[in-house]
Amino acid sequence: MITSPMNITILIARKEIKVAMREKLVVVLGCIILLLLGVALYAGYLAYQQQQTIITQIQAEKRQEWLKQGDKHPHIAAHYGTFVFKPKTMLSLFDFGLDAYTGTSKYLEAHHPHEFMFRPAQDHSSMIRFGELSAALVLRILVPLLIIFLAFAAFTRERESGTLKLLVAQGVSFATLTWGKILAYVTLLVTMLLPFLLGIVMLSLVNTHQDTIPDVVTRATLLAFVYGVYLFLFIAFSVWVSLRSSTGRNALLILLSGWIFLGVLMSKTVANLSENFYALPSMREFKAAIEQDKVSGLDGKTPRSVRMATLEKEYLEKYEVDSVQQLPFNFEGVSMQAGEEYGNAIYDYHQEKLRGIFHQQNRLGSLVSLLNPIIAVQHLSLALSGTDMHTFIHFEEQAEDYRRELVRKMNADMAENSQYGEFYGYKAGGDLWQQMEDFSYQTPTALQLLQYYRLEVVSLLLWTVLALVLIHYTHRKAKPLHA
Amino acid sequence: MLIRNRFQLLMLAVTFLFGLYAIYYGQSEINAQRQTIQAVQNLEQEEFSSYQASFTEEMETLEQEQTHDIASRPAYAWYRHGYHAILPPHDYAALAIGQRDLFRYYYRLTGMSLHYQLFENELANPVNLMVGNFDLSFVLVYLFPLLIIAFCYGLFSSEKENGTLPLLMMQPVSLRRIILVRFLFYFGLITGLALLLSLIGLITSGNPLKAENLIPALAWLLGVLVYCAFWFGLLFLIISFCQSSALNAITAVGCWLLLLIVIPAVLNVIVTVKYPLSSATLAGLTRRTGLENEDDEEESREVIQEFLTHKPELAGSDSLMKNNLLPKAYAAFTSLKDINSQQQVDQYNAQVAQRNAWTSRFHWLSPAVNMQEVLAHIAETDVSTFLRFQAALASFHGEITDFYFTRLFWDKLILQEDYASLPVFEMPKSDDRWNMVWLGLGKIFLAAGGAFTFGFINMKGGARQ
Repeated sequence: MITSPMNITILIARKEIKVAMREKLVVVLGCIILLLLGVALYAGYLAYQQQQTIITQIQAEKRQEWLKQGDKHPHIAAHYGTFVFKPKTMLSLFDFGLDAYTGTSKYLEAHHPHEFMFRPAQDHSSMIRFGELSAALVLRILVPLLIIFLAFAAFTRERESGTLKLLVAQGVSFATLTWGKILAYVTLLVTMLLPFLLGIVMLSLVNTHQDTIPDVVTRATLLAFVYGVYLFLFIAFSVWVSLRSSTGRNALLILLSGWIFLGVLMSKTVANLSENFYALPSMREFKAAIEQDKVSGLDGKTPRSVRMATLEKEYLEKYEVDSVQQLPFNFEGVSMQAGEEYGNAIYDYHQEKLRGIFHQQNRLGSLVSLLNPIIAVQHLSLALSGTDMHTFIHFEEQAEDYRRELVRKMNADMAENSQYGEFYGYKAGGDLWQQMEDFSYQTPTALQLLQYYRLEVVSLLLWTVLALVLIHYTHRKAKPLHA
Repeated sequence: MLIRNRFQLLMLAVTFLFGLYAIYYGQSEINAQRQTIQAVQNLEQEEFSSYQASFTEEMETLEQEQTHDIASRPAYAWYRHGYHAILPPHDYAALAIGQRDLFRYYYRLTGMSLHYQLFENELANPVNLMVGNFDLSFVLVYLFPLLIIAFCYGLFSSEKENGTLPLLMMQPVSLRRIILVRFLFYFGLITGLALLLSLIGLITSGNPLKAENLIPALAWLLGVLVYCAFWFGLLFLIISFCQSSALNAITAVGCWLLLLIVIPAVLNVIVTVKYPLSSATLAGLTRRTGLENEDDEEESREVIQEFLTHKPELAGSDSLMKNNLLPKAYAAFTSLKDINSQQQVDQYNAQVAQRNAWTSRFHWLSPAVNMQEVLAHIAETDVSTFLRFQAALASFHGEITDFYFTRLFWDKLILQEDYASLPVFEMPKSDDRWNMVWLGLGKIFLAAGGAFTFGFINMKGGARQ
């Protein structure tokens, strides 16, 4: 009987699947993982809906409060301010990411750019630090365990029972054998995970119109691709380790220790090291530095009074008048806005420094992802789900821009319509409040985000190449005989 | 055998080094917190010593006069004087950082609305918060079980697989006895290492013989002992089924995964869905509002009147509605705001407590979660400590407002001798902290005993096949 290598590969795969299905533990483990995946997605969906409802509701409430605040001086309105809330993204039901640890709401007020308040993890018991069950966690940590168990004996079993010799004697090449086994495990996993994949795709298609993510479909596809590559890598390496090990026990030990070290220990160690390398200031110091600069100027030698006097002089000269009362607009509005802008510049300077530290800390993780594909996948998964640091920073910036626009509008109205020195004499109304559009947020697109994650993408590429090279190279060297 | 021993020795050494790093890391984190505390205390001391000095100094500059006004006139002082309420770390917080990186451990409070001041977070990198701390409690709770698994999974099966089982069977002692002795040996070795690391951590983090450290140190050591016993018991149970090494290893790792990742993750997601809660609903409380019209004296009087119905003891001065009307109105205004929103805050806190209570009912499901909780309780870094701290903040804020408002509303100056009796923050002691610790340890002990007994009985049937 003459069969092409392709057919033999399929034959081997079918046999391998049969063997795997006979193992009771494999079936049980597979069922448990399926169940957990189902629970994770369902609970993720419920949590998403609940949070989204709460946030939409409060956001609408605050909007009404802003619109119906009655007649008041625009600067008082700018102080009362309003609030923005971080919306949950549709894909956060897949990977919760940083959502529990970034703040959820921000108070927008004149003069003070507040930081985000309320980390949802604070609403939980200490157990939250063990992590929440998300579909991403199942795929990233639990499915690999199933793969290890499926594949650790792929070659060692044949070796120990002597069938490997027989197969090779029949002229089956190592390449065919290896690919046959890889194909078997890939088929098993795909059959197992396909319903969920379809489920996610459908969910994301249904909900696209109301979500904060503009390109849900692209992201869902990329997510499926990233996890696909990841699971393939895991299968390929497991089969390779099995090929290289003398006994099943050794293969299992190596795979399990590698999985625990790369999957559980490394990310924690790296994050903690980064904290030691690049220290954050405390909130008190951060605020004190901003206040200090407001008092004495960014250069440390132009206090507020000097800045105001310069501004006044500038305007008097420009409009050729003797006093600010003679200006065709209320100078208080102008000086208020100038103070605001100076404050913004100071805030930007300090905020940039702070983000620089965050960036340096997280950069260490990105570098390590070159060594550890699990970290690379984790970072990409967060980014694609819209629950990563860069999406959060993007949101923070949008919220800050909105605040600045709001204050600017209020100050401009004050300059235009009120009289110098009559703070309670002028009141603006609903028309002005209406001019400030409601805050709405869209995340950057997946492609924009991925620019921050070049290292992670490179890492996945390199590891894939490495897996292929290793398998290819080992074929030629491997000896069929029991060592 | 020699190679395997070398590998095992290497694992012991690596775990030991990880442990040392964890101790160092925890101490550096907690020291950074101590430095922050020191810095804010210095700021406070500077502030108050400048006030006190203004009573004796010769007034020369405008600035000095302003300082003296802030120091002596309650109309300025009530919202300017800032007091720090601090939750200092327990000496052993370095070993179990718990929630100390997530919750704030210091607040600066003035007489202004409490809710303005309560909800700001400490700066933190969310990525690192998510990943969690590599402290000694992590090494003990996560890594030691893995070490135990690596040493014990093949204790029986490897004999069978290497063909040495028949040799062992020929010995006059029963097989169960031989396995038990080996278990005891490894128990001594690994638990000894865990205790050694703990002792190093305890001694370098604070003197264990000090009164406030002695019981925590003993409880910690006892906890380590019981927790290791649990994992040895579990491994004994797994081995008693006399399966192959591979199956033992995968079962043991599966148990580890179940107890340390799956169970807590499932419980967390259930509690999130079962008790939907968003602190964002409290955001509105932080809004800085003010009087409609500061020039309108009638409005000021109304606000003050309303406030005085809650605090009748502040009424009575002849000049109540004459002097300092605006500061009084603002003091009344922010206090009323607090009174009106207290219900909302209480409701929120009750919901958090409800979540807490629900999850703690399921702690027995995972001795690992239980152990983490016990260690956090010992080091006073658990959530309930922070909830207690926040409750204490409210009463401290009450003391601050009482101090300034009695002077403000009775139109009295703050005198130099008043500085001897400023409000001081005190953290109330918890009565049930140790109950939780002993109860938690009891549960782990029961689980250990149960697993071991079951394994012991099971092995009798299975050992001679």
